Amino acid sequence: MQAPSAHPARRWPLYLGVFLILILLTVIEIMVAGSGLTPPTLGIILLALSFSKAGLVAAFYMHLRDDHRLYTAIFVLPVLLLMVFAVLSVLI
Amino acid sequence: MTTYPATGTWRRYFSWNTDHKVIGVQYIVTSFVFFILAGMLAMLMRAQLRAPGSELLNAETYNQVMTNHGSLMIFLWILPVVAGFGNYLIPLMIGARDMAFPRLNALSYWLIPPAGLIMLASFFVGGAEAGWTAYVPLSIGGPPGQTLWAVSIMILGISAIMGAINFVTTVLTMRAPGMTFGRLPLFVWGMMATSLLVLSATPVLTAGLVLIALDRVVGTQFFTVASGGDPILWQNLFWFYSHPAVYIMILPAMGIVSEIFPVFARKPIFGYRMIALSSMAIAVLGLTVWAHHMFASGMDPRLRVPYMVSSMVIAVPTGIKIFSWLATIWYGKLRLSTPMLFALGFISMFLIGGLTGIFLAAIPVDLHVTDTYFVVAHLHFVLFGGSVSAVYAGLYYWFPKITGRMYDERTGRVHFVANFVGTNLAYLPMFAAGLMGMPRRVADYDPSFTSYNQMATLGGLILALSTLPFLYNVILSWARGPKAAANPWSALTLEWQTSSPPPTENFAEIPVVTTDPYAYGEESTMTGEPAAAPAAG
Amino acid sequence: MSQQAVAHAENYRAGQALGVDHRKVGMWLFIASEVMFFGGLIATYLHYKYTLGFPEASRLDIVAVGVNTTILLTSSLAVVMGLSSIRAGKAGRMSVFLLLTILLGLTFLTGQVLEFSHLYGEGVTLTGSVFGSSFFTLTGFHGLHVLAGVVWALIVLVLGLRRAFSAERNMGVEVFGLYWHFVDIVWIMLFTLIYLIP
Repeated sequence: MQAPSAHPARRWPLYLGVFLILILLTVIEIMVAGSGLTPPTLGIILLALSFSKAGLVAAFYMHLRDDHRLYTAIFVLPVLLLMVFAVLSVLI
Repeated sequence: MTTYPATGTWRRYFSWNTDHKVIGVQYIVTSFVFFILAGMLAMLMRAQLRAPGSELLNAETYNQVMTNHGSLMIFLWILPVVAGFGNYLIPLMIGARDMAFPRLNALSYWLIPPAGLIMLASFFVGGAEAGWTAYVPLSIGGPPGQTLWAVSIMILGISAIMGAINFVTTVLTMRAPGMTFGRLPLFVWGMMATSLLVLSATPVLTAGLVLIALDRVVGTQFFTVASGGDPILWQNLFWFYSHPAVYIMILPAMGIVSEIFPVFARKPIFGYRMIALSSMAIAVLGLTVWAHHMFASGMDPRLRVPYMVSSMVIAVPTGIKIFSWLATIWYGKLRLSTPMLFALGFISMFLIGGLTGIFLAAIPVDLHVTDTYFVVAHLHFVLFGGSVSAVYAGLYYWFPKITGRMYDERTGRVHFVANFVGTNLAYLPMFAAGLMGMPRRVADYDPSFTSYNQMATLGGLILALSTLPFLYNVILSWARGPKAAANPWSALTLEWQTSSPPPTENFAEIPVVTTDPYAYGEESTMTGEPAAAPAAG
Repeated sequence: MSQQAVAHAENYRAGQALGVDHRKVGMWLFIASEVMFFGGLIATYLHYKYTLGFPEASRLDIVAVGVNTTILLTSSLAVVMGLSSIRAGKAGRMSVFLLLTILLGLTFLTGQVLEFSHLYGEGVTLTGSVFGSSFFTLTGFHGLHVLAGVVWALIVLVLGLRRAFSAERNMGVEVFGLYWHFVDIVWIMLFTLIYLIP
């Protein structure tokens, strides 16, 4: 017997809204990439945009926002570790 | 305490069985077989190195023997045997009936024999000879066996990750009522820290091995220097796993001795919270220090000092544990049974290994002794003097629980003495040889190192022979030893509150936990109230 | 195991300890390991991108892959809508969304195959250069994960048609969804790291 769902029945407006934001962010990303911006500003903005998209999917589609914080920890900690490793792999 | 009939026959150990106790034994016995094989390879090495100019093994064969000795010991002995302990003990210690995912558990075991066979097969098609570290570009161009070596480790990594998912999920979701995190046995804390490392570090090694396999089999250019491939990248990918791997190998061992000291000193463990926190701290810190294996590689010089400092910092939680164990046995009523002997031996030998690890963390020292026998001595003190001692301690300690029979104590003591003498004689001289400049991974050496090598070979021989009383003891006792009680050590953790061996469902009724697992000599224990009461209904 | 033992196991396995479902915990832990696996491949790509340089990356078609990215994002919407449907008891609607997911996933993969052939046509191959090796391995493994996801979606679809899920019993769908969204998140990052950031 699993724990009863914490969600009300009508969530699809939220999902649709998130989807539209995701599409919008993707379009902005492509436009930014094609703009005249230079690194490192360019990279920072693009990373911020993609982290936002990833965050939206994780928070709303994967329900991290509604669930026990344990799941968020299990996901976020390796992501942080990965970032440390990726940066150091470039530097070392 | 009702006794239960032994469940099933010996055949169940050779078949697909989802009972975590069966799987645990499968893990332990299988890894011990590889321990023996890897040990024989070590004997070959010591035979070759007993005198300079020996022609027993040529250089190429020596390199293959050396590579497989290390690879078998790490990937097919220590890593799986600690997983085996975890498998057997975790559900029992937390009051559960099995792991969260029993079929996944069986699968993670059954990946091991084929992977082991693949690694052994690599010997016969032109063996891997680049050391267990497989640095590129040497490992890209080497004999065909290197590919099988890589495939074998990929499979073992997947098995380990499955196991870690099981361990963590089980501890998070299946603890018996009253088993709060503050009452978790320290072995379980150790396995949680270990699993954290397995989950976060192993996949990176898998990725690196994929790159090596692709380079070798398909012709990708990841490590082709002429195309711009970078050997340092492999070192990064490899050590990002392989440094945490050493903590994967030691944290369960520390967990085992944490279980043993309170029982055989009849005292509560000193610093329970600090030991648990230190396990987690060692794991987290351990993920950040991998580049201390690369001080001599040409890594970015600005990063060397930070890695040195962080590596030394790990000594703090480790030291906290050692002092806690000492404080535990201080003024305790010691019973020097075999498990306790091995646990005490663990402290002294791990201390030597650990301290020399701090020497190695110091960059100026490391640059001098990198790739010498100093490192070989260090690693054998922590892994053999440390992990293997603890594994033996655990094997003796839980032998009655697992088999339902008691081992012979005198034979156990003989094993301990031979093991202790052999370990120190084999590896102490290597420190000196390394400081005097003897390189590692060589089939021959300058005659000035002869006496060190002769002592090491003698020590190795004693170690090999010391395995015999152990095997004799274990095999005969399992077959015909005196029947063991449910709790021959009068211990308080939950696995001892059920029969020896436990029934398939572990507990007739799920216990309700009301006290700490190390409350020896405390009020409630002295009045005879059990630490765990069966759940009502 | 006796019936009583099974009953006991189910009782307290139902997350009394922390109130979390073990299948969900297991899937998140698996996702954590996958984060690190892709991490190794991503670190490899970035290492060479910033130490060696990737001139061949100029041949990448950002807009086309941008479209493909949108397709994958849409599939995530479909998946979460499918889960929402079964949570409301609408098994039929869930099946439609799963079918949509499968189609979108296959479309994404087709797009990848087209892109790969285009690059091969331009002389950028898996074994031809460090860029080719890094690019095709990283995106290739992602594609394999999408393929595995499509197969899983098919299985969930079939199970759903056989009435395996209901408003109260749908953890299997949720767990699949977590995997699918994760694979989508990986692509979100790959799109930026490989195609957008110079």
